[in-house]
Amino acid sequence: MCLMRTHSRADLTKTLAMTTPFSPPLYMQRYQFVIDYVKTYRPKKVIDFGCAECCLLKKLKFHRNGIQLLVGVDINSVVLLKRMHTLAPLISDYLQPSDGPLTIELYQGSVTEREPCTRGFDLVTCVELIEHLELVEVASFSEVVFGYMSPGAVIVSTPNAEFNPLLPGLRGFRNYDHKFEWTRAEFQTWAHKVCRDYGYSVHFTGVGEAVGHWREVGFCTQIAVFQRNFHDTMSNAKRLEPSVYRLMYRVVYPSLSDNNIYQRTLVNEVLYEAQHLRQEWLSRMNMDSSNNAHFCAPPLMDVFQHGLEGGTRDCQPVYQQGGTICVPLARVWSSPRVRALCGSVQRLREELQVDSRVRMSADGTVLILPAAADDEDDEEVEEEENVKAVSGVANNVEEDWDRELGCYGNV
Amino acid sequence: MTGRARARSRGRGRGQEPAAPGAVSLFKTAKPVMPTPPEGQLVGRGRQKPAPGQQVVILISISAGFQQVKIGERGGRRRDFHDSGVHTRQLMEHVKESKTGVSGTAIELRANFMRLLSRPLWALYQYHVDYKPPMESRRLRSALLFQHEETLGKAHTFDGAILFLPNKLHNTETVLCSETRNGEKVEITVTLTNELPPSSPVCLQFYNILFRRILRILNMQQIGRHYYNPDDPFNIPQHRLTIWPGFVTTILQYESSIMLCTDVSHKVLRSETVLDFMYSLRQQCGDQRFPEACTKELVGLIILTKYNNKTYRIDDIAWDHTPNNTFKKGDTEISFKNYFKTQYGLDITDGNQVLLVSHVKRLGPSGRPPPGPAMLVPEFCYLTGLTDKMRADFNIMKDLASHTRLSPEQRETRINRLISNINRNADVQNELTTWGLSFENRLLSMNGRVLPSERIIQGGRAYEYNPWTADWTKEMRGLPLISCMSLDNWLMFYTRRNADVAQSLLQTLNKVSGPMGIRMQRAIMIEYEDRQESLLRALQQNVARETQMVVVILPTNRKDKYDCVKKYLCVDCPTPSQCVVSRTISKPQALMTVATKIALQMNCKMGGELWSVEIPLRQLMIVGIDCYHDTAAGKRSIGALVASLNQGMSRWFSKCVLQNRGQEIIDALKGSLQAALKAYLKYNNCLPSRIIVFRDGVGDGMLQSVVDYEVPQIMQSIKTMGQDYEPKLSVVVVKKRISSRFFARIDGKIANPPPGTVIDTEVTRPEWYDFFIVSQAVRFGCVAPTHYNVVFDSSGLKPDHMQRLTYKLCHMYYNWQGIVRVPAPCQYAHKLAFLVGQSIHKEPNMNLDDFLYYL
Repeated sequence: MCLMRTHSRADLTKTLAMTTPFSPPLYMQRYQFVIDYVKTYRPKKVIDFGCAECCLLKKLKFHRNGIQLLVGVDINSVVLLKRMHTLAPLISDYLQPSDGPLTIELYQGSVTEREPCTRGFDLVTCVELIEHLELVEVASFSEVVFGYMSPGAVIVSTPNAEFNPLLPGLRGFRNYDHKFEWTRAEFQTWAHKVCRDYGYSVHFTGVGEAVGHWREVGFCTQIAVFQRNFHDTMSNAKRLEPSVYRLMYRVVYPSLSDNNIYQRTLVNEVLYEAQHLRQEWLSRMNMDSSNNAHFCAPPLMDVFQHGLEGGTRDCQPVYQQGGTICVPLARVWSSPRVRALCGSVQRLREELQVDSRVRMSADGTVLILPAAADDEDDEEVEEEENVKAVSGVANNVEEDWDRELGCYGNV
Repeated sequence: MTGRARARSRGRGRGQEPAAPGAVSLFKTAKPVMPTPPEGQLVGRGRQKPAPGQQVVILISISAGFQQVKIGERGGRRRDFHDSGVHTRQLMEHVKESKTGVSGTAIELRANFMRLLSRPLWALYQYHVDYKPPMESRRLRSALLFQHEETLGKAHTFDGAILFLPNKLHNTETVLCSETRNGEKVEITVTLTNELPPSSPVCLQFYNILFRRILRILNMQQIGRHYYNPDDPFNIPQHRLTIWPGFVTTILQYESSIMLCTDVSHKVLRSETVLDFMYSLRQQCGDQRFPEACTKELVGLIILTKYNNKTYRIDDIAWDHTPNNTFKKGDTEISFKNYFKTQYGLDITDGNQVLLVSHVKRLGPSGRPPPGPAMLVPEFCYLTGLTDKMRADFNIMKDLASHTRLSPEQRETRINRLISNINRNADVQNELTTWGLSFENRLLSMNGRVLPSERIIQGGRAYEYNPWTADWTKEMRGLPLISCMSLDNWLMFYTRRNADVAQSLLQTLNKVSGPMGIRMQRAIMIEYEDRQESLLRALQQNVARETQMVVVILPTNRKDKYDCVKKYLCVDCPTPSQCVVSRTISKPQALMTVATKIALQMNCKMGGELWSVEIPLRQLMIVGIDCYHDTAAGKRSIGALVASLNQGMSRWFSKCVLQNRGQEIIDALKGSLQAALKAYLKYNNCLPSRIIVFRDGVGDGMLQSVVDYEVPQIMQSIKTMGQDYEPKLSVVVVKKRISSRFFARIDGKIANPPPGTVIDTEVTRPEWYDFFIVSQAVRFGCVAPTHYNVVFDSSGLKPDHMQRLTYKLCHMYYNWQGIVRVPAPCQYAHKLAFLVGQSIHKEPNMNLDDFLYYL
């Protein structure tokens, strides 16, 4: 049924585009409505019922605004299977992991079934969904969503039947799969009952307005935004494995909240910075003098004693000590990228000291890098490999393939 | 030249001139071995859905072959990368029965292949699905059809018109009744149109699609045609490089069974945006030179956008555009800045960045013409691949190699890990079993043969080499060469700084040349100032008609001076020349080795001959063809042809042509082949009675055009030598970049097969006369076999002889005292095309045609 829903969405939009010029198209406006809501209220866990081709999820994945768990539920598993890979992380998500975590899950299931793992969400969206349910199902839908799941907020959108006369050529419902299309009053009656029964408050809005005197018919799509009145007790509950729904897809996005990824990103950034400083120093040394090759200037320990946060920070020079180049941590710390990753020098030092890819001085103030480029020629090892007999050497008898072919001719 | 071009040419050159540490670092051998060429042949993957009308066409031609049928899935260009459908063997009478050789000793091998197993009598059943009344929407069609899942089964692939099932339905024609939600009754007729045996082309395509699905289930990311694992990257922080390990896979019908061939591959990605790159470039070169430097560095690079997985080639930079400019989206104008904000929630931090331009060749939606140039925001574009600077950085390359160059053991382990992942993952197994398929859970075991090692003939003596190292540097020490050119009149150019090394090089050359049999007069020493113009002036003033050889000691391995020397001495003033980077000869302990190699090389360049192997065929001319593509800069491709002039395969005729736009490389090379035949006639007083052409540089999916177009052109070209001149002709396509790998077990350890290993069963293709030879020895990593595909053969030569001749020719490359990866003429042709494409950019002077001046 939900499969048909998106279908209708597209068809409807097409018709509307020709007659009532909604720009951007109505379905986009509905998505945008959800995106704007997310931007304002910043829910962490969002569930989209009837996600079908996952368009809304795909949009929310870009407009995350702090969403950490994004769940899509649809009754049709075929369409989920077909589209689920569009929700996979992009290559760039791996190249530049985001700050906050994000997990996307897709389930096959029905809004009229109670699924424990759907409880404790901050936002539930049901975009153009309820009109595909029989009226009896709507009752159990209300019970499941508001009574059982009791999320922080619910967005429900549905066609406004009063708008239908403005849609040219439309007879009956906007889509053959619609079981009903409500007027504003009908919708509001249902919504207020839900509020009374389950402890929510609601306000009504919509997208797609008619022009001129037609305005009074209301929005083409009417939207109810429900807010829960009581405090929630489940949002921190442990995530459960689904027991009623079927998990179709789960992907965990790479993010800096994963310690391994954080460590890797930070070390890469630090080493990038340090190597650059080293390179810069080496090329300056080369330019300075070809005679004064062994320039050793351990720049006075007292510079260090002034503390890393001191004003002399940026002046702390890179220097050579024996076969190594020493890069003061403070210089690396001055990189904005490193700063963004790491709140304080203290933390930076701690992170680096436990990483095997970074060599640091004992007091943790200096990064140690090799001075010379590793010797370019691997020493040629004259290996006298013990000769193993692989195969005989061609015998000394001279061959003549022409003769073998019997075409030994005019030589 | 761009990184991309270099990557390509390198990728090809990889392995022949190789890895041997301590090898003479003359200018061109100085660079280390490449890992997997990083530049992705990244293809977009917007697939066009066929318009409903087109599907009918597809249906009609369904039995014509699988190029016409598609089982829908993603993937941009549809090209037959595996060259299936090229049936050449059936036209060659003498290999119809058997194409296997007999020489050598048997060796047990394992190959990176796995058999695809299907239950007995497995077939894919193809059905045509008809709707009454007709349904337009593809989604509706499939929704209506799969209301009958209990009849059709769980496993199915349906693209809107054609349905594939692993099981046969009870009746050939099944009528199903579905009902849409508004009660409309739809009659669906499912008619069996084809019963496809497991090896049919459509099935093969189907297996590949299925396997891609499996890799995706295993959480691999598709880049280009291959899949990579993003969860276990390795980084080179200094240059913000990220390397993803992955796999190249193909499922094809091989000699006796359908198998999955899978090899390890690596993808180099960069976590640096174009904007980052621009910032640091501006810092380096200042505002003044920035636009020029920026254009030079960026144009031609491939970038990856942040908001989708698409790649683009930078064709231009729009200096007058910033993200505040607008473009037309639908009917409204929207600025780039707003677009990215509303569409992807991405903020542009630098409002003054210029935009990049890419001329998109991909078709627009539903086959409309390309939408015009794409404007890209540098901040949202990641660079891909390696730049020249990175390639030149020994340390990066070493780091890369340490992770990408896998020992045979490591490689086998990685492949085995994939196999076990496939077998352990429940989702994967589920997918496979619903289709009634499975993979054998181990690598293919098979037999190869190790050809006897050759005897190297030099100065009237013959010697053998260590068959494991495949190298005779030591053995040839102190032996006179076949023929030596005496150096009476030659010049050596050096800078003041390198005066000392020049002197010691001169002395050492003198010392080493005696035992080889080279007579050497003292060179005329000429100092030049370390500037390109003064070097050129010094050359112009000193190189005369009678100059036999010019040696130039270059202070650094910067390309411009090298190019300048080669340009002048190959085109304007044809003289053999030898460039040496001073660093190479600065180490006294290595000088003897280096000088020996230089002396050998100089001798070859002047027309001397070093060694030979026994060639048991007379009046034979071997031809090698290779080409060099400099696609990045939009330059012309370059084709090179090298042909043997004598029995010992020690003298060669070389010709290089620049291809015109829209012209096939062979059109340009036809004249070269005629010139080669004339040169052969001049040297031998007769024309060859056999010609064997080794054609290298044939890309994936190009085989058909070689067979259909190039072979007739070659024959035509031969015909011009006389109506009654009918030599026996063989054309062999040589392929180095293949994913087949072989492992041997030596002393209980997994190792590379020894040089001379021939594989001509099991993993070859039934429709071809083909074989693999592992000819070279590598010290690190996995040896790559070379694939030879005889596409035309009127010689009647036994397969065994064809294989052995090929192997013999791998011994004849004079720039390497050992066995190389391809027959010498191919390697020579590669070297020549590379020199012309990289440095000269013009056709070399024809006075040099008889010399190996490009070594």
